[in-house]
Amino acid sequence: MKKATAILLVLVLAIGLLAGCGSKTADSSPAGADSGASSSASSGEKALTFGCQMYSDGMICPWMQTNCAWNCMRYGISESLFEFDDNSQPVPCLAESIESSDDHLTWTIKLKSGIKFSNGVEMTATKVKAALDYVREKGPEGSSTPENFLEFDAEVTADDANNTIVIKTVTPYVNLAGNLADPAMAIVDYEGTGANYENGMIGTGPYMVKEFHTQVGYDMVKNPYYRTEVPFDSIKILFMGDASAKANALLAGQIDLAENIMSVSDLKKLQDDAGFTVDIAAGVRCGFSWMNFNGVLANDDLRHAVLMAIDYDTICHSNTIGDLYTPGFSVLPSGMGYGYETLNNPWSYDPDGAAKLLDDAGIVDSNGNGIRELDGQDIYLKYVSYENRLLNDFSDAHTQYLNKIGIGVTSDYGSSDDQWNKLVAGEYDLNNNNWNHLIAGSPTTYLGNWCSTNSANYCGYKNEEYDKLYEQLVDELDSSVRLELLKKMQQILIDDGVAVIDGYYNSCMVYNNKTVGSAHIRPNDYYWITADITPAA
Amino acid sequence: MQKKKSFFRKNVVFTIFAVLAILVILTAVFAPVICGERDPYEGDLAQSIMKPSAEHPFGTDKMGRDVFTRVLYGARVSLLSTFILVAVIFVLGAILGVVAGYFGGAVDAVIMRIADMMIAFPGLVLAIAVAGILGASIRNAIIAITIVSWPKYARLARSLVMKIRHTDFVAAATVTGSKTMYMLRRYMFPNTLTTLVITAATDIGSMMMELAALSFLGFGAKAPTPEWGYMLSEGRNFMQNAPWMMIFPGLAIFITVVIFNMLGDGLRDILDVRSE
Repeated sequence: MKKATAILLVLVLAIGLLAGCGSKTADSSPAGADSGASSSASSGEKALTFGCQMYSDGMICPWMQTNCAWNCMRYGISESLFEFDDNSQPVPCLAESIESSDDHLTWTIKLKSGIKFSNGVEMTATKVKAALDYVREKGPEGSSTPENFLEFDAEVTADDANNTIVIKTVTPYVNLAGNLADPAMAIVDYEGTGANYENGMIGTGPYMVKEFHTQVGYDMVKNPYYRTEVPFDSIKILFMGDASAKANALLAGQIDLAENIMSVSDLKKLQDDAGFTVDIAAGVRCGFSWMNFNGVLANDDLRHAVLMAIDYDTICHSNTIGDLYTPGFSVLPSGMGYGYETLNNPWSYDPDGAAKLLDDAGIVDSNGNGIRELDGQDIYLKYVSYENRLLNDFSDAHTQYLNKIGIGVTSDYGSSDDQWNKLVAGEYDLNNNNWNHLIAGSPTTYLGNWCSTNSANYCGYKNEEYDKLYEQLVDELDSSVRLELLKKMQQILIDDGVAVIDGYYNSCMVYNNKTVGSAHIRPNDYYWITADITPAA
Repeated sequence: MQKKKSFFRKNVVFTIFAVLAILVILTAVFAPVICGERDPYEGDLAQSIMKPSAEHPFGTDKMGRDVFTRVLYGARVSLLSTFILVAVIFVLGAILGVVAGYFGGAVDAVIMRIADMMIAFPGLVLAIAVAGILGASIRNAIIAITIVSWPKYARLARSLVMKIRHTDFVAAATVTGSKTMYMLRRYMFPNTLTTLVITAATDIGSMMMELAALSFLGFGAKAPTPEWGYMLSEGRNFMQNAPWMMIFPGLAIFITVVIFNMLGDGLRDILDVRSE
């Protein structure tokens, strides 16, 4: 009897287990993937799940850090007076029009009427002034450098009756619209946001924060006061640092949309799958490693040898990078009309030349341990990097090439915050990152990174001629003169060997065709979630 | 000779796995000979992520390095770091345990409460926290795991010492003028040795796994060190498209852990009188 009972129990248990497996299989079957992550669509609600990299712990306060400002705009929370179109030109967003005086010192901006923040407060001229004033007031406490987009001395006056603001600057701006399009200059309701500014910023974008989950992501809902129909009722933003996680989540139907799949093989798989669409934009981003002039890389010969030791073309065309980057030797992307073809690179790949350069400079391996010495010390470059846009792969590849000519490298890979903090603190020899060179629609701010008087010069590089040219560039309004200045400045940076250029990055957006109708990545990737992302029909 | 023969026949499991363990160690020692001129650190980006072939029997990784070479050299890093880790835990745990058990009182209370604190946390989680604070490196991973693992040995040594602490022969040694250091060295420590050696032998596998886990999570070995856990981590992103980057280091860990676990079991069968 006992035996029979035991057998019966085992059978029941086995059937239960099989039934459990069966139902799970049904849920996770391709049908599940077909329906995508928008599981609540069956209840009539249009929902979207978006997988993306987490920057600065997902904080969204524009004045705190550049990444926070970008997060706020990328998540569809904030908007600026202007935005960049597919040609990286600033076009009106919250503004209706902009006019400047002949001397480019007075700018009159007409605002769109009927715009409201997600808390229902109307976006008046006074509110716009308050946002532009506040970000500059708080700017010194953070690292968004709003002064790079609108100087501290600029005076903003609001005219609520005519719905316009007038900005008077001390120095002339080439095109203030481009500066005001930067995420740091987003028009948000700082006063209405209150204490929850890190994760609850109130903006005018199509979506607003419902709930923030630390290290996980955001639950977003549509902004009921948005000026047009918002396509999705809710959006779940999931932070995914792992390149393959995003691709696998897409393939498994756990997310509907992902930005920047960075594994070449994953991207190819998605491109070959009719169920997904991959939208790629030729980049405005440059991957490069800063060289710290306050360390061992202040030595010209060592720096030049580092540049000559690396085979940039092979790295970019390898299976690991898979042409997601276009190789190049200038800090400005080659395809953006900055005269790249006229530039000369004296430090092209030549490992034997690099070794000879070091030998001639007396930087040799005298103790036979395989590592060259400078001033009696083995050369071990501290290479700071983080796992985003294949940066760690580039750093590993550079390390491999440097080892071949007897330069040691100590890897220091961490999060994007680690990388940033070490860059600002100068705790690196090489620091790999990926920057959008078109800040405010112009390369001016970006090139300020190598101007010795600029607050964003994190590498200690100083060249008086470059500084003078940069100052001219800031004030120059004539486009042909600006182009000549850009060429000269690029050539100086190349000659001095200020950075190891990974290449020029191509951004992408990938979505599940079953749940998303269209999603487009723009060259300026301030824009991930927008009202232009629509559900599948 | 006959005696030796009968020992090996009597302890077949130990004999087989001792031979295999020696083979693994020899592989690590003679990795440069086996791999010829191939360097585990040197790759060719033009040859990156290539399938296993005659030239690269285990394929190549994302830096175009030969996975076979890296797996063999990885044995050096993984085995050496594991042996160092086990040795450090053994010595530290034994000393603290013997001291606590012998002296008792406040010394015992302090040492054991610290041990209790360590045991109160899940081992690997605490190790991750420690390694996170210290920074990623093999040395720091060894320190982190040592910090969370010594209490096991200390508690064991303490209980063994306490068993004999008040026996007649210890009392006799004391009254005949034996000094403390002599007592510890001559009577206390030898009494714990067998059990601790068995524990250490059976721990080699699990310690290797913990070190690999820390490296996998980015708290141990750093690029471009050929360490099995780190190689698994590197291959993780290519799991579906280039599985060889994970399969071979994974197999290396699996085989080595099984060998040392079985060797530990065999050693226990020989040394532990209770299993007879």
